[in-house]
Amino acid sequence: MAWLVSERSVEGRVLVIDDEEQIRKVVGTVLRKGGFDVVEAEDGAKAIELLNSGDNPMMIDVIICDIRMPHINGTEAIKYFRAQYPSVPIIVLTAYPDFQLATSMLKEGVTDYLVKPVDREKMLMAVKNAMEKRSLFAT
Amino acid sequence: MDKESDQPLKIIILGAGKGGTALIDLLARERDCVEVVGVADTNPRAPGLCLARKLNIPTASSAAELIGKNGADLIVDVTGDATIAAQIAEGKSPETETMSGTTARLLWMLVREEQELRAQLTQADKLATLGTFAAQIAHDLKNPLYCIREFAQFIEEEHDSDRIKEYSQEILKADQYLTSIVDGLTAYTRSTCSEPESIRLPELLDQAVKMSRFATTSNAVEVVCDYQPVPPIRADASEMLQIFVNIITNAVQAMNGQGRLMLGVKVEEEKVVISIRDTGPGISAALLPKIFTPFFTTKERGVGTGLGLSIVQTLVKKYGGEIEVESEEGKGAAFTIRFPLPG
Repeated sequence: MAWLVSERSVEGRVLVIDDEEQIRKVVGTVLRKGGFDVVEAEDGAKAIELLNSGDNPMMIDVIICDIRMPHINGTEAIKYFRAQYPSVPIIVLTAYPDFQLATSMLKEGVTDYLVKPVDREKMLMAVKNAMEKRSLFAT
Repeated sequence: MDKESDQPLKIIILGAGKGGTALIDLLARERDCVEVVGVADTNPRAPGLCLARKLNIPTASSAAELIGKNGADLIVDVTGDATIAAQIAEGKSPETETMSGTTARLLWMLVREEQELRAQLTQADKLATLGTFAAQIAHDLKNPLYCIREFAQFIEEEHDSDRIKEYSQEILKADQYLTSIVDGLTAYTRSTCSEPESIRLPELLDQAVKMSRFATTSNAVEVVCDYQPVPPIRADASEMLQIFVNIITNAVQAMNGQGRLMLGVKVEEEKVVISIRDTGPGISAALLPKIFTPFFTTKERGVGTGLGLSIVQTLVKKYGGEIEVESEEGKGAAFTIRFPLPG
């Protein structure tokens, strides 16, 4: 069954952080269909907890992060990830087409800034590009 | 009518149709300088009589019952009934002045004009507030739209009937969410000319919180509710919503989208008491007396019209209520609204 094949972790593992369950489900499904393994967190605090929970953080290849979230919002969480896990590329996925925010996020070291609704191919391409950058860093 | 003392002018209104109602509505907001001491109409269902009862103003079923009332400074006759003028002339106390016929009509025209302008201003403020919400509304609409589009695509690609059902349910969920946003916006922007209805304050406060979420890109406001049992009050839901949306939006903006919003309703000393408190930077003692003044704003250009709290005060007074604010710099702000307990 195509579904089972695509659910296998063949391309890498992506951490999806969004407070909306439906968005996590959509993004997760798109990524799984694209061949990625997916881990989900509902906000920045949960994501940080997850990354520090004993699992090897290097298991996460790419982080996709929303901006507007309760507890620890996206911008704060991204700063933390950049400081703690500088080799893990981060993609912002937000519904704000905000040029200033995009610029400041890219300055923070974010790899890509995607605005919802985002085409499936564009999202998969952004994750693959991020993954390649990660391999370049690693080598 | 010239009074030496600071006592409010005591006015009797004869006729509680459209003109009388508009006059009661206007004068009730000026309670510091005017007191309506009686309203009469032969029609027991006249709208002005209903409004007068709500504002605890004595009512009568005939003009004669009020005309001889002692201590009235002015009788305003908006009945349009020529025989009333003769009754007034015969029965009124010598010190009571009268306004009837053409002068009363002129007054009615001016009151109607003021009423229309006020309604326009109230609506304009609502739309201006909505304008500042636009980016956030677009954000909140985009998420479910994105989900609908993607889940529809998943269905197209899927053969497993269980998964197809699961995705269809997700689409329905997103649709419900979109509908709730649109319903909230419709309730808020509705013109305020509807009939008073029975309002449950906790529900309306929750609705106002949902609207005020649009005022910030942050999602980190903790809302703490202490809703004690209170009887429903009769009011225009749209006007009540505007009161709460204005105050809560100010609180959320003052806190820059991060902090605690505390909402409470209770009955205290024969009043329905609504409290809205925040943990924002507070209001300085110098600014505090100005906050209900029209066009006073501390917000950046384009963010506030400066009309919000002035309209809030007007609407609260319209329902016979009072509003007060307590604040200290660095210690948040607390608004308290008291409405008469519905009889």
